[in-house]
Amino acid sequence: MRGYILKALIVKEWQRHLANRGGVALAVLLVAAAGLLSVFAPAGESVAGATSPVGGVRHCFLEFDRKTPLIEHLEANRPPELKEQIIVRSLGAADTVDGLLVYPTGTAAIQIRQLPPGNSPSGRYTVSVSVWHPSGEPAALAPYETWLWKELRRAFRAQASERGVSLPPEPDFDPENHWLLIEAHKRFQEQVAGSGTAATSYEVPDLLVSRRGLGGKVLDLRSAMATGLIVFALYFSCVYLLPTLNCEERERGVLLAQALSPASPGEIVAAKLLFYPGFGIALAATLAAIYKTAILSSLFFWLAVVAVAGGFLGIGMTIATLARTQRAAFLGGMCYLLSVSMLLLICSMNRIPFLSWLAIEYHGPRILHAAVSGEVLWYHWYNLLGAFGLAAVWLIVAVWLFRRRGWQ
Amino acid sequence: MSYPHGVDTPADRRGLHDRQGSAENPTATGADPDVMIRICGLRVLYGSFVAVDGLDLEIRRGELFGLLGPNGAGKSTTIRVLIGQRRPTAGRVTVAGHDVVREWARIKPLFGYVPDRENHFEEFTGRRNLEFFGELYGVPRLRVNAVLKMVELEEAADLPVRGYSLGMRKKLLLARALLHEPPVLYLDEPTANLDIHSAEVVHRILRERVRKGATVVLTTHDMDEVERICDRVGIVCRGKLVALDSPLHLRQAHTERKVDVIRSDGERLVFDMEQPASRAELAALLIRGEVASLRTREFDFHATFLKLTGQAFE
Repeated sequence: MRGYILKALIVKEWQRHLANRGGVALAVLLVAAAGLLSVFAPAGESVAGATSPVGGVRHCFLEFDRKTPLIEHLEANRPPELKEQIIVRSLGAADTVDGLLVYPTGTAAIQIRQLPPGNSPSGRYTVSVSVWHPSGEPAALAPYETWLWKELRRAFRAQASERGVSLPPEPDFDPENHWLLIEAHKRFQEQVAGSGTAATSYEVPDLLVSRRGLGGKVLDLRSAMATGLIVFALYFSCVYLLPTLNCEERERGVLLAQALSPASPGEIVAAKLLFYPGFGIALAATLAAIYKTAILSSLFFWLAVVAVAGGFLGIGMTIATLARTQRAAFLGGMCYLLSVSMLLLICSMNRIPFLSWLAIEYHGPRILHAAVSGEVLWYHWYNLLGAFGLAAVWLIVAVWLFRRRGWQ
Repeated sequence: MSYPHGVDTPADRRGLHDRQGSAENPTATGADPDVMIRICGLRVLYGSFVAVDGLDLEIRRGELFGLLGPNGAGKSTTIRVLIGQRRPTAGRVTVAGHDVVREWARIKPLFGYVPDRENHFEEFTGRRNLEFFGELYGVPRLRVNAVLKMVELEEAADLPVRGYSLGMRKKLLLARALLHEPPVLYLDEPTANLDIHSAEVVHRILRERVRKGATVVLTTHDMDEVERICDRVGIVCRGKLVALDSPLHLRQAHTERKVDVIRSDGERLVFDMEQPASRAELAALLIRGEVASLRTREFDFHATFLKLTGQAFE
């Protein structure tokens, strides 16, 4: 390997990208996306109620027919973590189509109507609460409902206290809504105790409810998006740019011109193998740094990036060797991506073990997400090992194919 | 330009003809140290198609050699073997004593190649294209300016190649091949699509390189071009060498030595210059002043090719 030839070849690759602009423009867009993600969803701010990147509730409308002290209490006591998500508004302000209230995708609504004694079924003053959750996701409004039931109780209690009603102490408003269960059970105990005779007495046992998180967290949208950007940066560089530009050079005959120069085939290949993963890793590191600068000091992050870049490089080289034209290389990359996506989806939906382990796309996002979110667990090291193993296999396949078929 | 009888061709002046093969026995043999390119029994197959069929040829240092033939005759395949792009199915090819297959890396710096299809980095300027290849060859940047001037591309040097005309692209290919001043130049139809002036520039550069001792091998369809600049020409057909000679000797050997005459009374006559009686009769007519018009038969390359190969030159 001669340094001056490698330098000339690498500079040429960079200048080609500068002249063509497409690759650089996409890299800039990725950086901009990471910057926007950083600005509009800063670290530490969770997206409450969002159970997955695609499902969940972004906003919950709290709609009322009349602005009463009850509504003012609810508005004033929105929890800090949901303050941006709960939008209090009059029912008249909601969008309608043919007289029906409509809500954008990803939103839900809690409607509060206050019925005077003459209009209610019970003949008493009634507060009617209608909860509209996304279809098929009744749990999506759980954090909002927890807040609502608690604050409704507090508002009614405050109104009763103002009228001099003597009340027992407030229940322990726990985030899991145990107080609702316990109060309902106590009411049942009282009913049983009040209706029984001495001969038929039965004491309903107390109920002790415990509900805790498993320790895992709901997927954090921001870290998931940052991981997605990093994976895409590596894929774009190694599986898209490398084969397409290489095949373009071959199609035009420029690769032949280089091969006929004093540059050896090994040097031409080495320059490409240094440039494209290097470009992808630099871009991935930039995106990671925008998300969280401290990631760059994580050894696991660098190992993960190198493993994934190595695997994608092997895949890219394989496509570059098999495809004869730029179009074929582009389609090859697309077909590969779709095939692997289908494989992973089928394996995931049908709980097929082992098969998905053979895809670097199974291990790569896991280890990168673990590195990005700073939650590297013991099994992530196995994923890392798997990624390195698959990267080695792909590189061996690529080198074998290259030796058999070459790039001419 | 054609060389009239009695005028030396460049090859005559360098004494190349007395060492060449002939059309009947085109095979050049012997281990002459002056031989730059030696092709022995070259055979190239594309699947079952025979592109080159047992080609034997020697090209000497400082020779401008033309490989002539119709499409699919095997010219470009032969060049591809010479540059190491295509492995021969059988036979051996050496350049400056080095085997093309086994010592490819040693041979690469020895030649410059102008392909039939232009292959530049379209997004780069002409200058940047040359600078890149100059860096690979390790030549100083000043050399880039020199070759740009040589091919008359100085003014367009800083424009992207995608805006170049076909002729400019061809000239840029030649500039690239000349960058490292190689002792051997291979040119695959170098003047195709060039205007007369650009073709003249290319011819001038090639003659200059040959004058400095370089060996030039070019393929072409154009017999006139061969006659103008080549020392020797090899005619290939269906992968075989069917003639090998200087353009002048080819012309001499294959021109019909006949004279068409129209007499004063309008009668048309043909005199065969091979026959003494016919020559005497023509002389008598001329002396008597009975000749209204006289025309010698020109060399007809297409007819010659047909005669040599039994195939029309496309």
